[in-house]
Amino acid sequence: MSLFSDLSERARALFYGEQQSREVDEELRFHLEREVQENVRKGMDPEQARRQALLAFGGVERVREETWEARGVRPVVDLTSDMRYAFRTLGRNRGFTLAAVAVLGLAIGASTVVFGVVNSVLLSELPYPHPERLVRIHQQNSPTNRFGLSAVDYQAIRDQARTLEAVGVVLMRDVSLSGAGRPEQARVGWATAGFFRALGVSPVRGRTLAPPDEEPGAPPVAVVSYAFAVQAFGDAAAAVGRSVTIDGVSHTVVGVLPRGTDRLAAARAAVWPVLQLEPPKRRGPFTLYGVGRLREGVSLEAAVRDLADISRRIFPTWASGFQDRTALLTPVPLRAAIVGNAGRHLGIFGGAVALVLLIAVANVATLMLVRASARERELAVRASLGATRSRLARLLVAESLVVATLAGLAGWVVATFGLRLVGVLDPNLPRLGEVALGGRALGFAAAAAAASGILVSLPAVSVVLASVASSLRSDDRRAGTSQRANLVRGALVVSEFALALPLLLGAGLLLNSFLRLQRVDPGFDPAGVVGVSVSLPAARYSDMATADRFWRQALERAQAAPGAVAAGLSTALPPNDALTGDVNNFDLVAHPAPAGAQPTSPWSGVTEGYFQALGVALLDGRLFTPADSSGAPPVVIVSRSWAEHYFPDQQAVGQEIVAGGCTECPPTTVIGVVGDVKYLGLAGSADAVYEPLAQYGSQAKAMNPQTVSLVVRSTAPPSAVFSAIREGLRALDPELPTVETTLSQRLQSSVADPRRWTAIVAGFAATAVLLAALGVFGLMSYVVRQRRREIGVRMALGAEPASVIRMIVGRGMRYALLGTGIGLGVALLQARWLRALLFEVAPTDPGTIAAVAALLLVVALAACWLPGRRAAHIRPLEALAAE
Amino acid sequence: MPDDRSDLLQGTLEMLVLKALSLEPMHGWGIGQRIDQLSGEVFHVNQGSLYPALQRMLRKGWIRSEWRVTENNRRARYYTLTRAGRRRLDEEAATWERTSAAVNWVLRGRPAKGTT
Repeated sequence: MSLFSDLSERARALFYGEQQSREVDEELRFHLEREVQENVRKGMDPEQARRQALLAFGGVERVREETWEARGVRPVVDLTSDMRYAFRTLGRNRGFTLAAVAVLGLAIGASTVVFGVVNSVLLSELPYPHPERLVRIHQQNSPTNRFGLSAVDYQAIRDQARTLEAVGVVLMRDVSLSGAGRPEQARVGWATAGFFRALGVSPVRGRTLAPPDEEPGAPPVAVVSYAFAVQAFGDAAAAVGRSVTIDGVSHTVVGVLPRGTDRLAAARAAVWPVLQLEPPKRRGPFTLYGVGRLREGVSLEAAVRDLADISRRIFPTWASGFQDRTALLTPVPLRAAIVGNAGRHLGIFGGAVALVLLIAVANVATLMLVRASARERELAVRASLGATRSRLARLLVAESLVVATLAGLAGWVVATFGLRLVGVLDPNLPRLGEVALGGRALGFAAAAAAASGILVSLPAVSVVLASVASSLRSDDRRAGTSQRANLVRGALVVSEFALALPLLLGAGLLLNSFLRLQRVDPGFDPAGVVGVSVSLPAARYSDMATADRFWRQALERAQAAPGAVAAGLSTALPPNDALTGDVNNFDLVAHPAPAGAQPTSPWSGVTEGYFQALGVALLDGRLFTPADSSGAPPVVIVSRSWAEHYFPDQQAVGQEIVAGGCTECPPTTVIGVVGDVKYLGLAGSADAVYEPLAQYGSQAKAMNPQTVSLVVRSTAPPSAVFSAIREGLRALDPELPTVETTLSQRLQSSVADPRRWTAIVAGFAATAVLLAALGVFGLMSYVVRQRRREIGVRMALGAEPASVIRMIVGRGMRYALLGTGIGLGVALLQARWLRALLFEVAPTDPGTIAAVAALLLVVALAACWLPGRRAAHIRPLEALAAE
Repeated sequence: MPDDRSDLLQGTLEMLVLKALSLEPMHGWGIGQRIDQLSGEVFHVNQGSLYPALQRMLRKGWIRSEWRVTENNRRARYYTLTRAGRRRLDEEAATWERTSAAVNWVLRGRPAKGTT
């Protein structure tokens, strides 16, 4: 009641201010007239009555003022008039305003984007009902080593888990997909009914998958994304009941996912056909992505125990093909599993952007301070006319707030555009589809704007208040305050350098690491080598003989390509195919490893022509021959690194290994050693094991269909080779999807991530260095202006221009040096953050540190030299006359 | 900035205004006259200080104001006591009685009648 009347009275006063002041006037006038009347009635003459009335009233002007004050709108009215005044003065200084708004706006915009991404990716919940109950289920045999589920694991969890309400699996695989148009290679998610039920996804049309669909032999069905339904069938309603052809098998569309759902859990696919699992004959392979939903009220710990019990229960049944007793089925919160180590990338991103924002604030604060110093006289006059210190401070803060408000608006615009860049800068970011600027991001932008508005005004306020205080006491205020102002300005410039250095060092380290990565020998000469990968649909190439015949014919056609020097087949291409699969475990017959500690290596199936096409030399033993067929004794060729790693003092050729933990299979003999080739990325090891393609996967036939690449070295241009191979393949099978790359392209794209990180951090660092340079440039220009007279006197007394330049540059460089030193200390403390992104470069690499410090100082030197030169050109007489 | 003395005066003035308005709605000049009358000319209200006080009391919601025509056909701003204002007056009166009784007791050395 009272609060309401208080606010409504204040609001009335604020919005009806003029009307109200008229009302007060009228009220007071009425009072005086009435008093005069009364006095006359008492017998005074009119003049006397009037004088008496005024006397009794006691100062009309003061009463009016006090009544006005009692309305309680004084601070608000003052603030709006301050703001209006600030707008006017800023409008008169467009250059200053534009610079300050641009610098702050860009920084606020960039940090809002990063905040929006962090909020969407790391902080916000997954877009499923009760997301906290969702888990990803792994096999896990050490704190860091996790792998997928097998059909055995999935069925055991489905039938035995007491803590899970639903469990499902998905298998991502490239297939030949045709909806309405011609077939293309696409990645689809083979899913079980439980996958949809666990996530709690409901379709906009039709249904999702149901348990009967999973039975082997049931009619094949699929769920499709909204976008796919529209693209293939015109609209979502029309899609249900139609069919899509996946690897030559027709699947009936039973449901359409909601608009915008282009990925489920972390898996991105347009089509989700049903995964029908044949009754397993062995424990592996572990290729399925498992998702479960905890029952209500069940803790993660309970689920961990439950699944561990299941692991131990099923272990004996399948022990012949899988001896790793330490591998347990382990549930992990789904969000953590999806986000993974994106936190580290975003942390670096966030750190860089925060540094840039701080530098921008320091920069604009310097500008505000220079402006405030220029207004010192005006403010002193205001003070002498009775403005309080808080009133003066408000005046300065109002100006900063206006700048910050404009910068916040500009920042929001920058952020909405900048958000589109995120997908370009970091296309592998998890949950990229969910990244958006919401209310929280808006709040962040507003808070950043408000905080920077206050921060940029602080130095100016502190200096001006001190100056006004001293100006009222003594005459020599100029000396005192400009000393204080210079100190604050110097501190701001020092801090800009101290903030810029860590960024520059980060960029330098990443660049150094990237250059080293590019110098790594991939083990082959990529010039003139092309790869064409072909996926054979399982339905039409179900038996080995058909597939073998196809590959033989395809190879013959590839060998006939223009300029072909050599051609071969391989299941994996360097330099990084093994990062996404094709790694196998093995054991040395001579030195068996304890269970769970079996080593692994990139593992591929090749024909002998592959080594020639890639240009990899045979170092020992022999290459494969046609005699190494699927029925022959199993043999492998290993890389030199592998041989040195596992048989350091012995000859590797002739040694026996057990492949894939298959104890019942005959041991595999090492028949040759070839040169190193990288399969785990350029930064990875050069271990490699090659099997004859004819023997490859013979122990795991469930794994077909195979994606195999034709590798051809040719003297003709790649486009000619591609089209020859394309035509050859079309003659063999017109429906095959293919992917064409040159090995040079593959090398380039394998370092795309480090290149991108280097570019992003370098971009921030360049901005930071530029701002710091602007800071010291602005400060020294101001110093030159301020000391124009003194410099003029010196020159009149015979000082050399060089010594004037030395004086100015020396002063600026003192700030730069101090800032760089402080920045180095900070950077070295934080360097470990970058370690995970660096290749063969220590975060404290002395060469890089020296280089970036030198670069920063050279930039500072240039920034100081310009005002220095201007100082040297001051004409003594003009300078003296100007004062 | 108000000092301690004006706080005390302000409180007293407000109580007197509330008392004056408890009889009937009236305009500012009338309130001044009525206070002089009620206090038997003991309190002489500085007329000018009435208006800031009225403004404060409007904000506190104790009184409300409206423009009316006087018996002499002049427009004047009339103030009326609100329910909150009446409650406030009762509280003030009770507090005052307790305080004055205590002061009497201190000065005259015996408890005033009706208090503990």
